[in-house]
Amino acid sequence: MKTVSEFFSERLNVIGAWLLALLWVTPLLYAIWAAIHPIEYEANFDIFAPLTTYNFTNAWSQAPFARYLINTVMMTTMIVISQFILCTFVAFAFARFEFPFKNILFALVLLQLLIMPDILIVENYKTIRFLGIMDTILAIGLPYMASGFGIFLLRQTFKSIPKELDDAARIDGAGILRIIWNVYVPLSMPTFVAYGLVSVSFHWNNFLWPLIITNSVETRPLTVGLSIFSMSEAGVEWATISAGTLMTTAPLFVAFLIFQRQFIASFMTAGIK
Amino acid sequence: MIKTFTKIISLFVFVISLSSFSAKAVELEFYFPVAVGGAAASTVEELSNKYMELNPGVTIKPIYAGSYTDATTKAITAAKGGNPPPMAVLIAIDIFKFYDEDLVLPWDDILSDEEKENWLGGFYPAFMKNSQIDGVTYGIPFQRSTPVLYYNKDAFREVGLDPDRPPQNWDEQLEYAKKLTKKGSDGNIERYGIRIPTKGFPSWLTSGLIYQNGGKMTNGLGTETFLDTPEVIEAVQYLVDLSETHKVMRPGTLEWGATPKAFFEGQTAMMWTTTGNLTNVRKNAPFDFGVAMLPAKKSFGAPTGGGNFYIFKGTPEDELQATKDFVKWMTAPDQAGVWSMATGYVAPRPDAWETQAMKDYVADFPPALVAKEQLAYADAEFSTYENPKTVKIFNTALENVMSGTISPADAMKQAQADIDKILKDYR
Repeated sequence: MKTVSEFFSERLNVIGAWLLALLWVTPLLYAIWAAIHPIEYEANFDIFAPLTTYNFTNAWSQAPFARYLINTVMMTTMIVISQFILCTFVAFAFARFEFPFKNILFALVLLQLLIMPDILIVENYKTIRFLGIMDTILAIGLPYMASGFGIFLLRQTFKSIPKELDDAARIDGAGILRIIWNVYVPLSMPTFVAYGLVSVSFHWNNFLWPLIITNSVETRPLTVGLSIFSMSEAGVEWATISAGTLMTTAPLFVAFLIFQRQFIASFMTAGIK
Repeated sequence: MIKTFTKIISLFVFVISLSSFSAKAVELEFYFPVAVGGAAASTVEELSNKYMELNPGVTIKPIYAGSYTDATTKAITAAKGGNPPPMAVLIAIDIFKFYDEDLVLPWDDILSDEEKENWLGGFYPAFMKNSQIDGVTYGIPFQRSTPVLYYNKDAFREVGLDPDRPPQNWDEQLEYAKKLTKKGSDGNIERYGIRIPTKGFPSWLTSGLIYQNGGKMTNGLGTETFLDTPEVIEAVQYLVDLSETHKVMRPGTLEWGATPKAFFEGQTAMMWTTTGNLTNVRKNAPFDFGVAMLPAKKSFGAPTGGGNFYIFKGTPEDELQATKDFVKWMTAPDQAGVWSMATGYVAPRPDAWETQAMKDYVADFPPALVAKEQLAYADAEFSTYENPKTVKIFNTALENVMSGTISPADAMKQAQADIDKILKDYR
């Protein structure tokens, strides 16, 4: 039997959650509204306002969207796969091997978390130029591939995996690579999913570094290609921006809806907030 | 493993260097920002393509570099990273920053005496004010603008004002605005008389008021500001009085970006905004509108704004010559005209207004002439060393005044003191 106060606090929780959800979804709803109605209705809400696809075709025709989308997908895929591979090996070494200066080295890796990537722009630019890969998709991704955050996260997860499983595999004759692949990786799946999601959304939205290191349509991601719509001394064209934003976020949005359950479960277990 | 890697890298470097040596033609990278929407970017591309058709030995590579702030970051990163672009269009007021960091080359270094006289001397003097330091030219005016007054002629007719006689001075502006302010049947104000946007970069429009009032903001050398002078404080007082005392302007801070929309929807009968908005207003205002010079107090006055061509240190000699040739072509009458008509920027040289295309354009659309006439009274945009910081102090002070938290005199004195702290190292 619930007491009256319990009943109310539960209700309050539900109402609070709904309010927060509404607040969160409002910009998205507005973007949809602005995108499917003619410009005159940007700020006038009329339920019977005529619908239009003009904003979408207009935004699409003003920029090579498809190309930018391919670039963005290639770039984020490349970064995330490299991060998974590099971080897994490094994290495993820090979690399970003993070697000199281990703690100092790990502290150095953690230091990366404290440094804003923007500070390193000039140094990164020099490195990319030295390697001769200016204006390539590889150049956008390279500085982010060895991620301190990823290493830290995976090390903590690997450490929490019982050593006995490791020993058992070893007794059965598995090598290190096999142990990583068959024991550690499957057991750390939630961490991989959660970290992958954070990483994809960060790199999908990254703007300044791609803008600086790329010069041509063939290499530029969506964020850089589309920024042109928001640059206006003449006032912002909300309808076009909304249509463009919806088109660019659609792939991420659909992916999230499909994998929603897994994402939420992963976040609960991996503890990333 | 490492050996193969080194081999691949050195092969790569070798191929790259080979390809850059074997190319005889000059390739010029050219960073440009976009501040007026998509049309500007395509016009830059079209002009560059046309230039390449006329000059087969030269390849121009226009590179879109984001907003003014982004473009500056990109150019500075490239220059410090050892790969400066030969040229870039960047905001005029960042001149002291580029000079301070020793990144840009004076145009005087690559111009002959004849070119200095005939080409450099041919730009509107108002536009050269943010382009020179102590008489040395670092920027060539390209995408430049100035604010003007837009007014709703239908609203003028409705309240019995002559639609062909816009306000000439501050008193008339206030008097007109009072007449144009209209209350709805519920007692709320339905239409305000005037809107001078004060959020975003309020210092730009306020400097118009300051110049009209005979004031001065900086010493032109980037080392000193005069924000606590009576002329400046009076100008800010006039601005705040429009909303606080006379209630002819919507109270609080007013968004720059939302201002044209408020004008189109009849929420304000007059607005101050850039000439860069001319094409937008022409396309979207559902009523008859007029354009006028900003009203005078002691004299007419307005700031200029926008971007200049800079050239970067470390560019090889042959590229510099090609750059000079390209920039001269871009600012020549025909091209400056095309650029001006496509974007609404003010053609930066008097001779650009003499081409047949421009004559036809202004005959068809006389408001385009207002900005040009106003240039005779225009002055520099606020610009000092450490410009982002000093402008921010000035802007924040103005926003605080407009939101009613502090008096103009106190705000300007405080801003002046804060700016002094920053600039004293440069004196």
